[in-house]
This record gives sequence, C-alpha cells and structure tokens, in this order.
Amino acid sequence: MNEIIKLRPIETSEPLKNLDRICDMESGRMSGKIFWDKDIYEQELEKVFARCWLFVAHESQLPKAGDYLTTTMGEDEVLVVRQKDASIRVMLNACPHRGNKVCFAEAGNARGFICNYHGWSFGADGGRLMGMHESKCYEESGFDKSQHGLRQARVASYKGLVFATFAEDAPTLEEYLGPMTWYLDVMLDMDEGGSEFFGGCIRSTIECNWKIAAENFVGDILHGGWTHDSAAKAMLGGPVTNVGELPESYSVNWNGHGYEFATDVVGNAATLGEREINKYLHTLRPKVAERLGEFRSKLIGAISSFTVFPNFSFLPGQNTVRVWQPRGPDKIDLYTWVIVNKNAPQEIKGKWRRGAMMTFSPTGVFEMDDGENWEYCTKTSRGMVTRYQDLYVGLGMHTRIDDSELPGNVFRGQLNECNARAFYQRWKDLLQSPTWADVPDRNGKMR
Amino acid sequence: MSQVFLCHRDELEPGTLKKVAGGDAGDICVYNLDGKYYATADMCTHATASLAEGDMEGDLITCPVHWGQFHIPSGQAVTFPCERAVRTYRIITTDKEVFADTSAESEEAELAAASPI
Repeated sequence: MNEIIKLRPIETSEPLKNLDRICDMESGRMSGKIFWDKDIYEQELEKVFARCWLFVAHESQLPKAGDYLTTTMGEDEVLVVRQKDASIRVMLNACPHRGNKVCFAEAGNARGFICNYHGWSFGADGGRLMGMHESKCYEESGFDKSQHGLRQARVASYKGLVFATFAEDAPTLEEYLGPMTWYLDVMLDMDEGGSEFFGGCIRSTIECNWKIAAENFVGDILHGGWTHDSAAKAMLGGPVTNVGELPESYSVNWNGHGYEFATDVVGNAATLGEREINKYLHTLRPKVAERLGEFRSKLIGAISSFTVFPNFSFLPGQNTVRVWQPRGPDKIDLYTWVIVNKNAPQEIKGKWRRGAMMTFSPTGVFEMDDGENWEYCTKTSRGMVTRYQDLYVGLGMHTRIDDSELPGNVFRGQLNECNARAFYQRWKDLLQSPTWADVPDRNGKMR
Repeated sequence: MSQVFLCHRDELEPGTLKKVAGGDAGDICVYNLDGKYYATADMCTHATASLAEGDMEGDLITCPVHWGQFHIPSGQAVTFPCERAVRTYRIITTDKEVFADTSAESEEAELAAASPI
C-alpha cells in the first residue's frame, strides 16, 4: 500500500505512415502537410523535442546561486536554476502532485518554489521536495518526500550556451553538436572573455510552423536579396549585398544543424547601420585570427545564419539569438535575446541591443517581412490540395565539396538548399526512429 | 527545573543559530540575536520542518519549507502560513555556558500571552 508507483515512460508511438510521401529529400521535395498536421506535431513533441538537446539559457543570465528563469523545452515548462555549487539544474515547472505550474515569474532569485495548490515546497537546490502543507497526514500514510521532487533534465553547457534534454539515452551535448562547435566558436569564442546576453528576452508570437523559421536560419540566405530589399534600403540606403557575387561562401551541416556563411567579415553587422560596430569587428579581427585562425576571423559578422537542430538559431553580426518555441503546428512563441562579447565596450553592447531590436524583434524591419512569409507558408496548407502539392527543396544538389578541410558536411556556396534538405531529413529520421540508437548517420552521404 | 545544555557562550556568532537535541523536550533551536541568546522548539508549528535550517532575518526566524516566520524572542507567529506560536524556552546563562529551562517560556513569550491583543 505504501509502494511508490513510478509512472513508466509511454511506449514510443508508431511512426506515421505517409512520412516518405510528404518528405523526400533525396528528390528534393516535400509537402506543406508537414507544417499543418496535428498528428505530426504531437509526434514532434515526443520524438524531436523530448529527445534532442534544447537551448534553455546563457550562463550569463544566472550569475548567483538561487538565480532562476523559466522557459520551455518544446511545450514543457521548465525552471532553470543556478545552484550553490555553481552548476545549473533544469527541472519541470510542474508540480508532481497534480501538475500545477509552480513558478509564474519569468526570472528572479529565490530560495525555493512553492506550488499554490497544496503547498508542496521545492528547494532551489535541484527541486527537492522540502515539505508540504498538512505534512502530518502524508507522514502517516508513509509518504517518501525524496521520491517526489521536480523532475530533472540532463544539463550541459557549451561556451556559455546551456542546453538540456529529457532523453536519458541522448548522446552527450558535445556528440550532439559534433563538428558544428568549430563554427559556434565564431560567435562564442572571439576572445578570452567569451560571450554574454545583453538586455532581456523579447517574446512574441508568429502564426507559423516552427520548422519554416528554423529552416530559414539553417541555410536560407537566398531570400535575403528579395524579402529584405526594402528594409535594407531603409537601414543601409542600398539593396542587400549581392550575395551571388561574393567570392567565397559555404553551406555546412551536420545531423540537421546548419550554418551558411560568406567570408565578408561584416556583411550582417553592417545591416544595423552602426559604423562603430563595423569598426569594433574590424579592429577585433586580428585577435580573433590569432585565436581561431584566419578563416574563422572572416566570419565574425559576415552574411550568415545558423540553426542548431531543432529550434535554436542565431545571426552573427546582428547578434540576435532565438528559440522558435513550438505552440501547435501553426504557431510559435519566439524568444529572442542579444549576444555580445563580454569584453566589448559598454557603448558597443548598447548599440547592438538597439540594432537588434530595430532589425530582428517584433518591430524589426527584417523580422516582420520574414514573419509574413512564414505565416503564409503555413496557412496556405489549410487547403487540402495545397497541403499535398510538391514543394521544391532541390537547389544545389551538385555542390558537395568532398575534400574540404572544413569540418562537417561542406557544400559550395551559401545560395543553396542543402542545409534545408539535411534539416528535414534529420527531422524525418527522428520521427521514424524508435530510439536514439536507431537514428541513422547520414554524414558524408546527403546531396 | 529541567535544564538542557545548548552551547558555549562564545560558540555562536550573532545572527547564527543551531539545532540541539533536547531529550524529552524534543529538538531545540538556539539563536544568538545581537549577542543575546534565545531558544525555541526546533519544529515549526505549521508543518514538519526544522527552524534551525531556516534563516534569521532581523529578529524573525524564517522557516525553510514554506517561509513562514516567528518572532524569535516571543515565539509569536508573524507570517503565513504560521498561525500558532512556537514554544520558547527560558535561557539560563553561566560564565561560559548557555542552557534552556524546559519548564519555563521566555519573558517575552509570557508578556505576549498576557497581552489583551
């Protein structure tokens, strides 16, 4: 009678039958159904978001013991708390009694968290259950407090970026990121100070599927010269750089992560219209070259974009960092922050914060045009015929560089859809694999 | 009169506290409040919790579990969810040692009990 019943994880659901029909990356085509279907979405929550490493915080957001913030992993509400031993714990922000949300604040410092329903009190130290209102009757029924703390996630950090996963069998974070860490260093490791978030989190809603946004950042600079022409003229007085004429650019991907980039040093940064920021990057570049090598020093603010699968993206240069938080197949909450070098002058950090708000935020001149595109990519699939039409994802099938010295799967040119193909392939692989061990390794093989 | 040894006079810094086994009386929490010693029962009157694991904030003790508060000198419950006063023990000090008299409450507690409010 006093046995604790542990709820076992639900058996992995059967893969949906039509996935190969609606997502065929070898042929470079897919259907809008992947942006619209509720069953697909539920399986994504199970097999993508409950399995992958998801970004939850930057170390700089939690300087002191007891500092916390709340965010989501997929649709799971979580608490991220700095511990006394300097580690970070991530736990479900849902009481294990009846599931009530425990903490309603966005961020703060606390000694613990108390559920409003029955007064279950959880310590800041890893969400340990400290006690309950009417504790005596629990004691009389043989209740074991140690079994009923807040459910913990696995946590790991890479150069300031804190990730978490609820999958016990997921690879380590380093394995998960693979060779993409070489490229992440371009933003996270320019100098010995590393990076920090500057300013707060801006949250907004876009009525689009999370994948269309994540895919845009994983490898779509193709849209830049067309979608963003008017915004570029407003910010720079001229059109977007003619990306097609840049002498050197690449698309790189690995296990669904992707980075497309030119080597023009400040192409992205320049869109903020702040000469001082361009000057800061040019001045810093020799130091970065010493630290990371000549090649990577040319990337620090270049025309580029990056997605860490599934839904963490950023733009070097504009320094905007974001998570596309899924809220149903046709909606995301966009959480966005600004990242800067710790050692950058205060004034430069301020210019970056304002610049990112002017370009990539709910009022951002670039973001608003992206948002409209993505909403309509999603909404047209309301129509049954539209939902099944073939969508072309075939650009750049011939561009793999087999003998590149660069890490990862390397392709020629950033005007390319190879990263999108790799992203959707990884998505499909996860939906079709019962466990992590079953997920295929396609590195070196995809076009 | 039943006496329980609590600590040496120079053992606790001001603003610190300690749990002591009280034998028949149960666990006792001893406090150094600005150089003066006080003692209360260690068990919170609201739910199972050790006050000695809480924080002294001014002349209040904050329970670590639901953050309710008692006034240390008188044991009066001050903050939700604490409603019932916590038992206090009169302090007896010698040259070097601090004891609790488990048959008497603190002077402050007696004053509070006598008050019409």
